[in-house]
Amino acid sequence: MTSNLAIDVRNIVHSYDRNIVLENVNFEVKQGDFIGIFGPNGGGKTTLLKLLMGFEKPTSGKIKLFGKSPEKLRPYVGYVPQIQQLDKRFPITVLEIVMMAFLSKTNLFGKIPKKYTEKALEALAQVGLENKINHTFGTLSGGQAQRVLIARAIANDPKILFLDEPTASVDPQAEEEILHILDSLKGQTTILMVTHDLQTILNKVEGLLCVHRQVHRSLPNQICEHFGLGLYHTPITTIGKPGKIK
Amino acid sequence: MNTLCFIDFFHSLTTNPFIILSLIAGITASITSGITGAFIVVKRIVFISGSIAHSVLGGMGIFLWLKRTYDIDFLTPLQGAAVAAISSALLMSWVKTNFKEREDTIIAALWSTGMAIGVIFIALTPGYNVELMNFLFGNILWVSLQDIITLGILAAIVSVLTFFRFKHFKAVCFDEDQANLQGINSQRTYSLLLCMIALSIVLLIQVVGSILVIAILAIPAAVACNFTKRLSTTILTSIFFAILFTLLGTITSYECNWPPGATISLFSAAAYAITLMINRKKQVNIFLKKKNISSRNFSKR
Repeated sequence: MTSNLAIDVRNIVHSYDRNIVLENVNFEVKQGDFIGIFGPNGGGKTTLLKLLMGFEKPTSGKIKLFGKSPEKLRPYVGYVPQIQQLDKRFPITVLEIVMMAFLSKTNLFGKIPKKYTEKALEALAQVGLENKINHTFGTLSGGQAQRVLIARAIANDPKILFLDEPTASVDPQAEEEILHILDSLKGQTTILMVTHDLQTILNKVEGLLCVHRQVHRSLPNQICEHFGLGLYHTPITTIGKPGKIK
Repeated sequence: MNTLCFIDFFHSLTTNPFIILSLIAGITASITSGITGAFIVVKRIVFISGSIAHSVLGGMGIFLWLKRTYDIDFLTPLQGAAVAAISSALLMSWVKTNFKEREDTIIAALWSTGMAIGVIFIALTPGYNVELMNFLFGNILWVSLQDIITLGILAAIVSVLTFFRFKHFKAVCFDEDQANLQGINSQRTYSLLLCMIALSIVLLIQVVGSILVIAILAIPAAVACNFTKRLSTTILTSIFFAILFTLLGTITSYECNWPPGATISLFSAAAYAITLMINRKKQVNIFLKKKNISSRNFSKR
């Protein structure tokens, strides 16, 4: 049974300076699943991602990714950060950003072997940005910048893909394109995506995690209309048609 | 200052060996400041670098006091500056990890503490401290051959480190999380970067002094950022501007009998102001162009 699990989280408690951010967190994610993560601001969504990627160690409890510790699985993890975390004035081209997926392959002279450039170009083609390789990051639209980060995350064929609000602050067309890319990865890669926009992902995900100090797992058809208004609670009832917020 | 003055300066080049040494020192220091300055500007750690630059006064003061009070001849203020700069860099790196939410306050506290220690030890040191004044305000025209050799070695260390670790530095400056995912210890790389900046500061103290060092470190790179698309070209352009400002500043200071450090800083600041104005004009033009296009489209409809 466990061999089918991509993520296994057991009794996680995490705190910053004695302030408990997450407590009694337990959940499992199967390989190839697409899971949405939502919850109020400051509820611990980004902290949960950081714990899963091994950037932070939980105060107590255990996390296993494919049966290994998050630190050991890092080379097989793709991560798309919130776009606001990155400096758009940084002098860097699209291709240089995607090549960061292969930093662990640098040789003694600090160079990345040429074969990985091919892989980076393939990833850029997958997100439809093959004609933007020499553009600087700052000249891209929000949607394009987000797709560059997705290209970087998938260039290394990750086993797990973590996305932190990839559709925030992009226009509806860009949102559609991003979700289409993620749809094409379904089944091959386990995807965990933090989002505030539940409506757009309900018919794409296998499950949802509501993070608000604790983590509650729901099925898309258990999502209540209150969630769309930012009023989060445990899944106690099914309202309306399955998979739709009224 | 007119053309004749420049001719006078170039004539002095052939007759006065001090001028040649000062120019070599300026160019060597500019290479280092061009490299590290680019990282400082893109990582937005000018404030941290300023703190390291000012805290070196503590090291210089202690070493000068030890030298004069206990007759320890081999100690020099420059060595004290190097020890203080590296210690401050490591301390800053530690602060970033452990006190993220109060980072700026702690940096400011370290900045003033370093200077306060320096001021106290200078007051305790017997005699008039001409040597220390040179380190505070810089005097490129008094650089010795020994200083040039030290500058050359430090510049070589910074250049070699950057060549072999460029991609790692770039990743840590752009996106630390991605660097961590790729197995790069971003904390260690950041510490190494800060130590490299500290070394550059020690080098540049000779040229512009610890008070003005941040100008020559950050401004050429900030100017270069306006013209470049890649960090590697930012570094090369930044080296070019640093050499240009240092040469112009040194020549002008020689001709007008002005303090060289301050003159170099003023040239850098003037160039930065011009770049900002050009950039502003460019942005306004782009905005007007876009507005014209959209209003034309609207009237067509």
